[in-house]
Amino acid sequence: MTGFVVRRIGHTLLVLFCVATVSFFIVRLAGDPVQQMLPPEATAEQEATLRAGLGFDRPLPEQYVSYMTGLLSLDFGQSVFFHRPAFEVIMERLPLTVDLAVAALAFTLVVSIPAGIVAAVRRGSATDTSVMASVLVGQSTPAFWVGILLILIFAVNLQWLPASGTGSPAHLVLPAITLGLYSAAMIARLLRSSLIDVLGEDYIRTARAKGLSGFRAVTSHGLRNASLPVVTVVGLEVGSLLGGAILTEQVFSWPGIGRLTVEAITYRDYPLMQATVLFLAAVFVVVNLIVDLSYALLDPRVRLS
Amino acid sequence: MFDRALLARRDLFKIGGLAAATVSLGACASTKPSGGGQGSAGTTLRVSLASDATTLDPQKQGDLPSMNVLINVFDTLTVRDTDDKLSGGLAERWESKDDKTWRFHLRKNVTFHNGEPCDAAAVAYSIERLINPDTQSPIVELRLVTGAKVIDTHTVDLVTKEPDPILPAKLSLFGGVIVPPKHIKEKGEKAFAEHPIGTGPFTFEQWQRDSRITLKANPDYWNGKPAVEQLVFTIMPDPSSSLAALQSGEVDIVTGLTPDAAQQLGDATGFKVVTRPGVRTFFVSLDTEEGPLKDKRVRQALNHALDVDTLITSVLNGAAERTPTLIPKQAFGFDPAIQPYQHDVAKAKSLLAAAGHPDGFALKLSSSTADKDIAQAISGQLAKVGVRAEVSLLDPATFKGRLVSDNRKALGAMYFVGNSGWTMDASSNLQSFVRHDRRQSRWNNPEADALIDKEEQSVDPEVRQEAFTELQKMLIEESPFLYLYQASILYAVSDKVQWESNANGTLAMANAKLATS
Repeated sequence: MTGFVVRRIGHTLLVLFCVATVSFFIVRLAGDPVQQMLPPEATAEQEATLRAGLGFDRPLPEQYVSYMTGLLSLDFGQSVFFHRPAFEVIMERLPLTVDLAVAALAFTLVVSIPAGIVAAVRRGSATDTSVMASVLVGQSTPAFWVGILLILIFAVNLQWLPASGTGSPAHLVLPAITLGLYSAAMIARLLRSSLIDVLGEDYIRTARAKGLSGFRAVTSHGLRNASLPVVTVVGLEVGSLLGGAILTEQVFSWPGIGRLTVEAITYRDYPLMQATVLFLAAVFVVVNLIVDLSYALLDPRVRLS
Repeated sequence: MFDRALLARRDLFKIGGLAAATVSLGACASTKPSGGGQGSAGTTLRVSLASDATTLDPQKQGDLPSMNVLINVFDTLTVRDTDDKLSGGLAERWESKDDKTWRFHLRKNVTFHNGEPCDAAAVAYSIERLINPDTQSPIVELRLVTGAKVIDTHTVDLVTKEPDPILPAKLSLFGGVIVPPKHIKEKGEKAFAEHPIGTGPFTFEQWQRDSRITLKANPDYWNGKPAVEQLVFTIMPDPSSSLAALQSGEVDIVTGLTPDAAQQLGDATGFKVVTRPGVRTFFVSLDTEEGPLKDKRVRQALNHALDVDTLITSVLNGAAERTPTLIPKQAFGFDPAIQPYQHDVAKAKSLLAAAGHPDGFALKLSSSTADKDIAQAISGQLAKVGVRAEVSLLDPATFKGRLVSDNRKALGAMYFVGNSGWTMDASSNLQSFVRHDRRQSRWNNPEADALIDKEEQSVDPEVRQEAFTELQKMLIEESPFLYLYQASILYAVSDKVQWESNANGTLAMANAKLATS
């Protein structure tokens, strides 16, 4: 187990090194922040002065080496547009992104687990059909449409909740539902099919035969065994949620990582683009590692070596 | 998560509106207070912005979103009043001492929010800081300024390397902002950018990035305390959401609306969409050096082919005004005697036939995705005279990159573009596009070049007006562009608000009033 963890951390660092390198060169193909910063009437001379001031006129290998050296001390460079360290800019958005991701995940699990179980246990019934129909709607409705609809109903008409912005737990409700809806639908569907497979297994029949109630048989024997694929998907969803929900953030004016990423790209802000890409990669790699480790806890047949 | 599926936001709002109507029929109107959570509306004016400021150091930004916030915290040497006239800001008056020196006489007894005096030394420091390459300022208007000289406590000279006749106008925004020297030296640049100190009508309170900027009325403002106690800018990138926030009472003004977004408010009571004349001027640049567009008759034909009035009514819902050339009507240099091209398909066809293109020809029309509707409509109108303009859309950043690249053909034979012209002097509208050696020029005409030199190098308004009139006549005759319109400024306000925007489009809120009901 320890060997596994050490090896995986090594892999993680290698992946991050590759991501840092690739993103460094790729963002430079996208165009130039100096062109985006200056108005069109700027002269070539003014452009050259600013480019030199920002250090983008240095040879590429030199810029690369200084970027990679900086990374060792968590120095991602200075955001060109915000005139602040890129790391600081990201860290400032992180708490709100985490708030939204946690709320969305809570909504996802609270909705999807009961829905998945009910649909699996009552397979073929009217309940199953209606749960699956809702799942289909949830999975196929675009987030910004759901978002605007929720705003119109709960903020404009009923005036129960704020339309957008941040500041109180009430502000979290609508964006969390909007963001969690897709994941909830997907996970409910996955849990249902996974649980249907498991419920057909011999050991469930044995559990029932030895006198366990249907409910206990499903929750303590069925659910744990059905949860492996679900955990994998939930893990990936956590990565996506932390990576920022661009449209949801846009609709609810939520100042998260997603909007920051889009801004960085729009401005062609090299250091900030590199930092957000690296941040997203780090989130996915770490979440994957945690998911892998959790397999061993959930299923004794899985050996990590 | 990259949210799945894409639908035109406009269509979405229509569907959403239907659903909302159903809900309001079904449910009783609730009397619960709004969940805005940003304090009582009392004397807090809440304004939505489509994007956040990048930095609050006024000399390190060059974009309108930042300027919109900063114009309330800082003052500029000159200002545009509500009639768009250039009038005194921190400078009460100014005169040109000689071709290369502008003298500014400063308002007395003005202090920064920290008590520091705003005098000639502060002005000189601000100008010097701006033009110092170490500041890395994206502000480009003061490129001819070589320095500032303090004459006495309230008089300062700005010296230029070549004559700059419109320097006072250029000091009405970005470059004219005056910053506190002592404060910056003592607290450092970073602290200043985090907590800006200006002389303006509002003092800085708090900035939650990409979410909210809070300002407080400055009771000691030299021009009188603002009518509202607090000014909150809320960052709302999505127009549908910001209009919903207006309707739910969370904001009082929604700014930066596009004509199609503005329609979404419909005839909701308690709110209105305000249309004010703007100066942002749109046109199509033609590559006059290659292909069919080399022939002046072809260029004239394309101008005759366009029905600009229909473009304005059908694509922009009337939120624009026709411009005969590149110059908006408020700008110095605009000549009202210059007549725009008449929409005349028959004439266009005969000009094309005379130029050897009786069956038209095909070429590319590039535009930013933000302007896709208008570009497509232009292409449709050109098709009626046989010119097949294939619309090529680019995301705004790529478009901008190509626009300013050294390759003047990077956007193809024709591209649709806008020009802000906030100095309200024709010089700014023409500077990058006309003289053959300028970065976006695709027209080589020595006579026009000479006229540009004349207006750029003289400080005599009469000489300049003459040059501009000649230039506008040439622009019509030689037709190196397709002339379109100047876009109006659109915003939605609650009926409680009394405020009018400037034609330069900035959100100076010092005079805004809010009825407390």
